[in-house]
Amino acid sequence: MATTAGVGTDLALFAHLLRRAGFGATRDELERYQSMGYEATVEELLLNDEPQVMPDDLIRRYQVDQSDLREQPSSSAYWVYRMVTTNRPLREKIALFWHRIFATGQSKLIQGIVLINQIEMFRKYGMGSFRDLLVELSRDPAMILWLDNQDNHNGAINENYGRELLELFSMGVGNYSEEDVKVCSRAFTGWTIANPKYMSIKMRNNTARPYGYIALQYDYDEDDHDAGEKTFLGETGNLNGEDVIDIICRHPATAGFIARHFYHHFVADEAPVPQWPYTPPKDPEAIRILVDAYFESDYSIGAMLRTMFNSDFFKSTQARFARVKSPAEVVIGALRLAGGFDEPTMEVYEAAAACTYMGQSLFIPPSVEGWQGGDEWINTGSLVQRVNYAGKVLGDTSRSGVRSILNRIKVAAEGGSLSSEQLVDGCLDQLGPLPVPETTRDALIDFARKQGEVIFTDNGSDSESENKIAAVLQLIVATREHQMA
Amino acid sequence: MTAATRPKLSLKYRDTIGFAAQGGRGYQLPVDLAVRSDGRIYVISRCGYVESSRVRVGIVDLNHNYYGHFGGKGSGDGQMDRPTAIAFDSADRLYLADERNHRITIFDGDGEFLGKWGEQGDGPGQVNGPSGLAFDSHDDVYVVDHKNNRVQKFTASGGYLSGWGEAGNGSGQFNLPWGISLDSTDHVYVADWRNDRIQKFTPDGEFVSSFGSSGHGDGELHRPADVTVDAEGFVYVADWGNQRVVVFDARGVYQLQLRGEATLSKWAEEYMAANADEFEARKSFDPYPELDVDDPHEVSARTEPYFWDPVSIEIDPEGRLYVLETNRHRFQVYEKE
Repeated sequence: MATTAGVGTDLALFAHLLRRAGFGATRDELERYQSMGYEATVEELLLNDEPQVMPDDLIRRYQVDQSDLREQPSSSAYWVYRMVTTNRPLREKIALFWHRIFATGQSKLIQGIVLINQIEMFRKYGMGSFRDLLVELSRDPAMILWLDNQDNHNGAINENYGRELLELFSMGVGNYSEEDVKVCSRAFTGWTIANPKYMSIKMRNNTARPYGYIALQYDYDEDDHDAGEKTFLGETGNLNGEDVIDIICRHPATAGFIARHFYHHFVADEAPVPQWPYTPPKDPEAIRILVDAYFESDYSIGAMLRTMFNSDFFKSTQARFARVKSPAEVVIGALRLAGGFDEPTMEVYEAAAACTYMGQSLFIPPSVEGWQGGDEWINTGSLVQRVNYAGKVLGDTSRSGVRSILNRIKVAAEGGSLSSEQLVDGCLDQLGPLPVPETTRDALIDFARKQGEVIFTDNGSDSESENKIAAVLQLIVATREHQMA
Repeated sequence: MTAATRPKLSLKYRDTIGFAAQGGRGYQLPVDLAVRSDGRIYVISRCGYVESSRVRVGIVDLNHNYYGHFGGKGSGDGQMDRPTAIAFDSADRLYLADERNHRITIFDGDGEFLGKWGEQGDGPGQVNGPSGLAFDSHDDVYVVDHKNNRVQKFTASGGYLSGWGEAGNGSGQFNLPWGISLDSTDHVYVADWRNDRIQKFTPDGEFVSSFGSSGHGDGELHRPADVTVDAEGFVYVADWGNQRVVVFDARGVYQLQLRGEATLSKWAEEYMAANADEFEARKSFDPYPELDVDDPHEVSARTEPYFWDPVSIEIDPEGRLYVLETNRHRFQVYEKE
């Protein structure tokens, strides 16, 4: 494993941290983090205080469809606001992480507000105890309807939620028996929603009539709960859902499964999840460290994150640019860098749609298995979308963040002009710092040279030079390195 | 309870009118209503991102009779884009404020285009996001010029008369004001949205008093969207952020609040009759389930009879109270007892 000697305080390390624990960072943000120090930055990212975001009242007044959150373009746009404007990016990143694993789809649920509520639950519990998170997930109305637990009755079980809880949400296949699935399902009988019959019909009929959707409310129906004796993973008792979750959380397979998801999402792309039973982890020592953190902290997700971000395997140069950015990372990262939203804007819908065009329609996962990520994010169509979107946003010289980049490059210009090499190196620095192979750098310099000299005047009319800089920025977002996090 | 705060007013629920419909009979994210002199009720369906082309004004009466709609998205004559408010003049011409087109459009009662005025800007007579309209007894019209944080007074044909207000939270200042209403003496009441209060002014814009303060308790307000005043001087507030209606007396003393108690409208009943499976399932439907949340917006989202984003409030000549709810695509009607 690589060590991190000598790179503990360099700007590139902070940029790496913020790409993983956030959606990238502006140079002003990076310099502030750097002045705080690395471990203090990790602690600030882990804070669970009230974030500063675009206020709900402004969103709801001007974009009324983001108040009832009925359609997916509205709910996904609402989440984009949070991701772009928050000062606590790790909270949104962890919500995205759990959405990818506990994938729940508006395509079936029809209403978006319950998915927004689920994301809020991820924000609240997503960095706390994994045990608490699984309890909340099992009580989550969107999850209950998504996996049919309202149809899981005493004496007539529906195994859908019980099975996915074990297979996809905690342990992974090969660590439990079919009988355990049945018992797990029995333990969650009675975990339902209010008005299950009417809500199910409205969902099935896809109808907002007569008065829009009614957001779902969790309900525990004790009369429908199977309180009988059960044996689950070798432990016997009158087990309810919370008892089953306790047993799940104590199991080593759960720790290993979650640790590998962490590695896959935050450190380096792993094999797709379905291959995990047959493919060893890329870095078994890293998994062991994360598993230890899980048990030593009483299943604390925040403790696992702290351990991971401060670890040598995370900081190592091998881990940098070792993940393909998800579409949400591409879109949100570009917007945050270019200057996000100061007030409600229609651009939020375009951003949410861009995620869809790139293959990650927020709230519409391809299946209950979520998105696999890695190389699967890239195909000829999605790559064009990724490059075009980031190029459009970062090529807009009227945006505050782009202007900040231009000004920094201008300040660096000695004698009022930039050579093509200085221009390319300045742009690569401002967009990362982004290391590229010499061949890529040469190609960028060749492009810059063909545009002509970049000269800054004293009278402030530098639009021609600014457009040349923007053109280089737009070309850099097409590089392989910029597609990686 | 002291004599000063004892309720002098009692309101009784009468009916619900409306139905969620992207087009045709029903409403889609409505934002304002106005009652014509003959009792016909005009409702703006602002619509959302997905169905924005369906933006329209629909016409109904208290007996649920539907008289069609007009509108359509755009900036051409008779079109609208992000409409916010409507009001009738004494000749029953309908004036519509449009915060995207920054103008006032005038229609006849059938929705035929009669004229328009207004241009974007912050100079006298210019507007930036008009959000509220109200006529006085002389047929002059007050416009809430909300992004300029002021109120402007125009002739019915758009001639600038006067204006007041600026950004701030002092008396006579505003923070993104929204709705407006006049009482029988032409005093002006403005929903000072982000200052969580109602401000009362003389017809010339002199500050008179302020009702409400920030909060969620009795007599407190959170982002009030609209206000209306009845013949007795009671002041009714669409307390949008608290998802309720709050009523003050003429001196600003809190009287009562309403949370909403909608029932199935005639249109909703007709829908249920045509959809047997939903009708059957609704027989066991508990509209007031036990909740584990207390945020008013979320409580309303889970409780169908409650107001959900009560955005507009009106009193008709007979004293009936209308409360329009954006997210439930309907309005509830109350009467004095």
